Amino acid sequence: MSYEEIPHTADVKIRVRSATLEALFSDAFAALMEVLYGPDRKGGHRHVITISSDDTESLLRDFLSEVLFVSEVDGLVFARAEIRIDGLNLTAHMDGEPFDRQRHSSGTEVKGISYSGLAITHDANGYMLDILFDV
Amino acid sequence: MIDGVLRTGANEWEIPMGYVPGMRVPGRFFLSESLGRILEPGAVQQLANVATLPGIIHHALGMPDIHWGYGFPIGGVAAFSIEEGIISPGGVGFDINCGVRLFTTPLVHKDIAGRRDLIDDLFSTVPTGVGAKGSLKVSPKALDGMMVKGARWAVEAGYGMPGDLARCEDSGFMKEADTRAVSAKAKQRGGPQGGTLGSGNHFLEMQVVNEIFDPVAAKAFGLSIGQVCCMIHCGSRGLGHQVCTDHLKVLEQATRKYHITLPDRQLACAPITSPEGKEYFGAMAASANYAWANRQLIMDAARKVLAKTYSIDYGDMPLVYDVAHNVAKFEEHSLDGRRETVCVHRKGATRAFGPGTSVLPPDLISTGQPVIIPGSMGTSSYILRGTHTAMEKTFGSTCHGAGRIMSRSQAKKKLIGKDIAAGLLKEGIIVRAPNENAIADEAPGVYKPSDEVVNVVHEVGISRLVARLSPVGVIKG
Repeated sequence: MSYEEIPHTADVKIRVRSATLEALFSDAFAALMEVLYGPDRKGGHRHVITISSDDTESLLRDFLSEVLFVSEVDGLVFARAEIRIDGLNLTAHMDGEPFDRQRHSSGTEVKGISYSGLAITHDANGYMLDILFDV
Repeated sequence: MIDGVLRTGANEWEIPMGYVPGMRVPGRFFLSESLGRILEPGAVQQLANVATLPGIIHHALGMPDIHWGYGFPIGGVAAFSIEEGIISPGGVGFDINCGVRLFTTPLVHKDIAGRRDLIDDLFSTVPTGVGAKGSLKVSPKALDGMMVKGARWAVEAGYGMPGDLARCEDSGFMKEADTRAVSAKAKQRGGPQGGTLGSGNHFLEMQVVNEIFDPVAAKAFGLSIGQVCCMIHCGSRGLGHQVCTDHLKVLEQATRKYHITLPDRQLACAPITSPEGKEYFGAMAASANYAWANRQLIMDAARKVLAKTYSIDYGDMPLVYDVAHNVAKFEEHSLDGRRETVCVHRKGATRAFGPGTSVLPPDLISTGQPVIIPGSMGTSSYILRGTHTAMEKTFGSTCHGAGRIMSRSQAKKKLIGKDIAAGLLKEGIIVRAPNENAIADEAPGVYKPSDEVVNVVHEVGISRLVARLSPVGVIKG
């Protein structure tokens, strides 16, 4: 896991550094789940998401927006995701558990995934992104 | 003050053309010198970005609670020409019609002081926090009613009094709502969340009126010294969040289709008259209506708890007013001596229509519109009134709150929720929240002093002080 929260007065801004693009998406996903539900998250319930977008940043934003939707309407809290990216198409196999008020109430609602300042960069050390969650 | 920003008055500053490439108008914001010292460069940059949008009229405006957001800064206001202008979800936000309302009670401070049972009862009655579902079963027909009729749907369904409607901005609904432009996903999220508060900075707070600045306006608003009031802050829940998410994607494509160049993708937009712009506006208006219905449901639940606890009449708890913080609207304003309908975006800003504005109800037309400015958990909230100056300078707008100065991550590192709650209890303020982080996140110290922010709007004249209210009991989302 390689993400950190960087100061932003109003919202939650996350910086992620990962070796591969798939790991970058998976770490951003983990950061989102931690902000929403805290660290205590187990597996057991599988859910698959497929997304296609116009560019890599939109693919990430659309993926995380879909995760927000699924998590809320199905009442699922995800522990991990295996992600495959083929061009601008993504498949995520997610593993989670039903929302439990006792264990999953330490976080805060995320209202949306913002495009503001969303940029994925790539150099010899791997991939990096900054992303803003509206809370 | 940040380099490149010019002082144009005691509390007025200008971001000159050229601060960022492509500005069509200057930026203007209202801030005291001391608040200027904690202004973030990111907020100024975002206000300058707004000034690049097509069809913007006069200025990109920042209220004294301006701070760094996404798309527009929080505290950002801009009006756009209908013919040449754009509509942007970045000027409204994910939480469409996040807003605040205040109702009064016949109770006085000693009735509620130290009454943890009352705060516990309110906390268990109004669902709060992550994963909360409403106790109300909202059928698809009822959900349509919420989106089309707003607060009126709730009153007709028995959750309020007819008099509540005149005390909501625009009578608690936007007529432009188009439920066809609201996706099935948004409706799926909105159904189970009717009557829920949400989390983050949302709250329900019992307060006491402890200072009156303007007795005439206070009387017209129904406020008197020592009176207990209840303030509710929340928005359109998952329905509005999904509408913003869905339409942002459509408008991203529309931005390219209409050859609009943007400095920030979150400002994705389309001409107001385009099919994409009209669809977003219709869906946004439906979400705004859902939010008004939602605040009406929460007020009804709180009134019922108070009526039962104190054996007081439901009818003795009238609504003072309900204002929207995150919304775009068609409004008539004076532009260089002529009246014109423009599209005003308010992102973390409050409408503050002055005396004589025709859309105000008759009993408020001489005072101007009530403006509700919540403080943080331990600090005062204020009631102000709209002014002619606001109509002239800010398209009838003012600030919406105190504005954060500390990030949530800093707050969690530096502050401990239970210590904050214990400190507030010593001051006579009872706090209930789903978890300790929620208290640390929203502790009084993470916000600008609300007194200083409202003093600026009062001195600039874009709204005038009417009354001050202190918190006694707080339910955090």
